[in-house]
Amino acid sequence: SGELYCSLPKPRNVHFESINMKNILHWSAPEGTGDGVLYKVKYSVYGVGKWIRKPECRNINRTWCDLSSETSDYEEQYYASVKAFLNGMCSDWMETTRFNPLTDTKIDPPMVSVSSTEKSISIILTAPEKWKRSSEGESVSLLQVYPGLQYNVSVLNKKTKKRWFFSISNNTLVVPWLEPGTAYCVSAQIHVTTPLLHSGFSKEYCIATLKDKTA
Amino acid sequence: TAGNKIFHFGSCRISMSVTEIRSGFTAIKANIQARDPVRTLSILSYPHSLHKVKSSDRCCITHHLFNFYVDKVFKHCKTEDSYVNRKISSIANSFLSVKRKLGQCHEQKKCMCGQESTEKFNQILANYEGLNVTSAAIKSLGELDILLDWVE
Amino acid sequence: EDALLPAPQNISILSTNMKHFLTWSPVIVQGETVRYSVEFQGEYEREYVNESWIPICECSLIAATVCNITEDISATVAYNLRVRADIGARRSEWGTLKGFFNRITTSLTPPLMKVIADGYHLLVELEDMGPAFQFCVLYWKKGQESRVQQKVVKEVSSVIHLDTMEAGPDYCVKAQTYVEAINRSSSFSQTQCVRAQGGRSMWL
Repeated sequence: SGELYCSLPKPRNVHFESINMKNILHWSAPEGTGDGVLYKVKYSVYGVGKWIRKPECRNINRTWCDLSSETSDYEEQYYASVKAFLNGMCSDWMETTRFNPLTDTKIDPPMVSVSSTEKSISIILTAPEKWKRSSEGESVSLLQVYPGLQYNVSVLNKKTKKRWFFSISNNTLVVPWLEPGTAYCVSAQIHVTTPLLHSGFSKEYCIATLKDKTA
Repeated sequence: TAGNKIFHFGSCRISMSVTEIRSGFTAIKANIQARDPVRTLSILSYPHSLHKVKSSDRCCITHHLFNFYVDKVFKHCKTEDSYVNRKISSIANSFLSVKRKLGQCHEQKKCMCGQESTEKFNQILANYEGLNVTSAAIKSLGELDILLDWVE
Repeated sequence: EDALLPAPQNISILSTNMKHFLTWSPVIVQGETVRYSVEFQGEYEREYVNESWIPICECSLIAATVCNITEDISATVAYNLRVRADIGARRSEWGTLKGFFNRITTSLTPPLMKVIADGYHLLVELEDMGPAFQFCVLYWKKGQESRVQQKVVKEVSSVIHLDTMEAGPDYCVKAQTYVEAINRSSSFSQTQCVRAQGGRSMWL
């Protein structure tokens, strides 16, 4: 339907929310509008001359649109824009700021797996994968995207309540010489120096060292 | 950390406090990019993306680009916002420091320019001269992360 | 006609651990509150922007005789700094720092450090001195000074694990700070030694 007269207020707070480069466009409804507002979305690669419509986000009533596929090349930067429609009226387009997937994404904590012996615990960390189009698609670890990626690991002795920190570049850590029959809780965080990015700390994974057989 | 990294461009090795430059840029990125309404042009990325530069040309292009920013860009980026101006000064002085180191590599013939890198840089200059000087300078400053992402 | 205010004197820099302060002597005018304003000029401004000066708004018309210039001295180049005094409409000439200031000359103090033995584990707690700082921690078995091990700590987050210890010998630790941006290190802290299995930290 032709757009009659664009007097509708614009959508508000149009921005990308990105985690592991899964890039979702979010916005809020125009001021003072209730239900029934529909939206359409377009995006552009910064420096390239044309806006591209996103058909799957045409005449939608939700206030988000997954543009991960369209913004998956993290050597590019992007803009996206949203227009609202209600009762034959429309709004002007409302744009995001320039989106740089490499620096503007958030990173999930690493996956942590822990095993133990009588006197040691072994920790294996796995960095999250970059978003991919389909589960069959090629997996790209964020380690490949951010070569300077490091891990901060926290080890808590549940008996003494003492917490130690380790900073490691590779993804495995063995903590020897521990007390048998004691519970230790491990959590880990990803740390990239440039661009400066931190994940949060993962939840704690607790494991007990085996009991001392000789005791 | 201050993230002073040693960059290896062939035999040219220079230290650069990238994190300080990035944090200065991040502080003013939204402000500067908002002053650049032209979405359809890029100084650094089109038609040739920096990411397509051969490794043998990296040193020369980097040298050219740091000269470009120090000689042409920063001085035309003065704004009405004193905070933004102070951050631009901080970035400019850091760039000046790096430009000098790259200049030494160039004098020691460790940063040679091939025809391809000269052409690529001339394209960047053509993009720059295609806009009026203030718009071109603000757009170039707004693309600093493109340069830093590529350099790293 | 109002006499010209004297320019601030004894302008100097106090710079320790990458925190830089400009200080000057107060301008004394009986019964008046003198206010001061500070400006800086980097090498870039001198060479490329007609020697222009940039005001530091946090130190504009302040009554104090000290200004924290750390945020603006954020490149390893030579900076110029100047101060002037104001009382209402009366204004002094600029007083300029004698010579340049380059942050490479900041004085670096050894880090505060606490060494902990927790069972067979050698740990260290270091003072958080800000993002510009890393720490080089050296540790060795007492008596085996030739076999020193080193750990670079880039992020200080409470108790850092250094290594495991054998029961019996003392393990000694000392640390220095390292600032990448200026490629300089502090002197070493005092050495501290501990022993495995709950050994006490002894100052040497």
